[in-house]
Amino acid sequence: MSDATAALLRLDGVGKDYAKVDVRGGRVRLVWDLLRGRAAARVFRALDGVGFELRRGESLGIIGENGAGKSTLLKVVAGVIEPTRGRVAVGGRVGALLELGSGFHPEYTGLANIDLAAALLGLSPADIAAKRDEIIAFADIGDHINDPIKHYSSGMVVRLGFAVATTLTPDVLITDEVLAVGDESFQKKCVAWMENYLGGGGTLLLCSHSMYHVQKLCRSALWLKGGRVERYGAAADVTQAYLAYHEEKSAAAKQPMAAASAAAAGVYAVQRLDLSPGASIAQGGELRLAGEVFSPDGRAPVVLVGIVRADGTPVYGVATDMDGVTPRRVAADRYAFALTLPHLELLPGKYLVRAHALDPAGVRLFDHVERAFVVTGETREMGLVRLAHRWNDEDPAPCGDSPPR
Amino acid sequence: MMESSPRISATAPMAAVPRFAAEARRNRALFANFFKRELTTRYLGSATGLAWALLHPLALLAVYYFVFTTIFRAGSYGGKSFLLFVAVALWPWLAAQEGLQRATVSLANYAGLIRKVAFPHELAVYASVGATLALQFAGYLTVLVALAAFGEPVRFEGLLLAVPLWLILALALTGLALFLGALQVFIRDVEHIVMPVLMILMYLTPILYPLTLVPERVRPWVAANPFGWLVERLRDALLDGKLALQWGDAVALGVALALFLGGRWVFRRLSPHFEDFL
Repeated sequence: MSDATAALLRLDGVGKDYAKVDVRGGRVRLVWDLLRGRAAARVFRALDGVGFELRRGESLGIIGENGAGKSTLLKVVAGVIEPTRGRVAVGGRVGALLELGSGFHPEYTGLANIDLAAALLGLSPADIAAKRDEIIAFADIGDHINDPIKHYSSGMVVRLGFAVATTLTPDVLITDEVLAVGDESFQKKCVAWMENYLGGGGTLLLCSHSMYHVQKLCRSALWLKGGRVERYGAAADVTQAYLAYHEEKSAAAKQPMAAASAAAAGVYAVQRLDLSPGASIAQGGELRLAGEVFSPDGRAPVVLVGIVRADGTPVYGVATDMDGVTPRRVAADRYAFALTLPHLELLPGKYLVRAHALDPAGVRLFDHVERAFVVTGETREMGLVRLAHRWNDEDPAPCGDSPPR
Repeated sequence: MMESSPRISATAPMAAVPRFAAEARRNRALFANFFKRELTTRYLGSATGLAWALLHPLALLAVYYFVFTTIFRAGSYGGKSFLLFVAVALWPWLAAQEGLQRATVSLANYAGLIRKVAFPHELAVYASVGATLALQFAGYLTVLVALAAFGEPVRFEGLLLAVPLWLILALALTGLALFLGALQVFIRDVEHIVMPVLMILMYLTPILYPLTLVPERVRPWVAANPFGWLVERLRDALLDGKLALQWGDAVALGVALALFLGGRWVFRRLSPHFEDFL
């Protein structure tokens, strides 16, 4: 009987090196090295020290940038390649759906390809015959099943591939970004199958660029970066960290040169900006900002405070003169300001707060200082902020007619 | 262990406990599928289908008949038909030549699978060599029957020895095919070297001529050719009906086995890296 606590899939310190041969004669040398049981002289380290555990009924999402080693990792798990280092232990049948229509022979009819796929999975001819009708029904591509695959549309190839991989009910299903294909109705069928599979105790290893899918279908996630595990844990945490990393990365590309020391140049300049309770704040909590602005001529400057997402998308900005506030004078040439945001309903992620110093007329913008902070929390809401909302489930009448509550 | 049923988990590519029986069954099913695929793809799209496998050797035989009897007028040799003398040796050679040429490039046909699915890559080579040998052996029998029908003195009881000789040939060829096929994945020159080498070997082997026509000085060199040995034994069996075993047969079996094991060793060393180079 199945043992729910034992790991169905377990990787320990898995690494994979690919031989690099770019010089003439390098291949001859490589063959010679391999025959002698030596490692290749020059290698590219596609994976290094990757480890995780997947128990029956769990689901893990693999995320990461292109070239981070996701496909290599899936191939190692599927047994397509042997790891150079480390151990892979699999306690069940792995159904791999690596790329669309993989394992299909283009010259062969859909039916012949079903037989090939089943033989690859180790099914006997009797088992294959029993499963064939089920696969044909799920794929639902009509008479095309008797045509060579090369005449199929890409959508039909996907349908057949998904039908084959899923009908043979694997213990672990590995999929490589294939959920978002096929037409609307087939996608629904796939998601329904997937939820049913997971609900029935199926185990899923999903490689996806869609954080939505990873959060929806996976309990835990693993972020690969440069072949190494950058982060491994609850899906919500890992996907948020990954998104924040991307936001920062795209912002870094846009970031202009740091403003020259404005104070030294004799212009209005922010000299200090402090955040409390700190650089990390829970969603819906209170954020307090305090700082000081330098004024070269002693007149009270206007302070503009703005919040942007880590990639630079503006969220909200407000200036002292908009609210009729004047910074408090603390020295001959220094003014202090303090701002409280009592209910910070930003969605979890990385943000920046920027304080700008403007001239007393609030026209010319001289300088800004920014501080990063993280909003923590677990939610599957989307966007930047939580807007106040209410589902009017008891009263389906149009809004205009609904009585105030 | 932790499987829900032994059959299911047995196919796990890196299961902690090897389950040989189920794995062997899976590999048999896979080989059968590949073998069928090899047979049908060769004649896929040709109007006559598999019948071509039998028509081709007969057509070839007709050409040789014309060349030897009408042009060279080599009607007989040592009291035997020269056509039969050549035919007995030529088909095993064609099998070897075609088998090696196809097997050398066979893995490329399976590149899509090798990159995406876990399975023993050897099966691709076995299927390629197996299909070639099966077709060529069928052609061989067809030719022998055709020659007998035209009154040539074929000693069919010689098949008792000829069949084991073909099996020895198959074993040796499989070993060489594994070696060349694995090498070809990394070094593309292999296929271009194999072809001319086979061409030269054909003329260095007493296939189209008897060993006795070779000058005394170089005769030991030609006689040392293992394929030449096979040809002589086939002629003993099918032309003269000599079925007695010789010590050389055991040596040949040993050499074939060594070739197979050596080829397989090389193949298994290199096959984990195919995925990256195909």
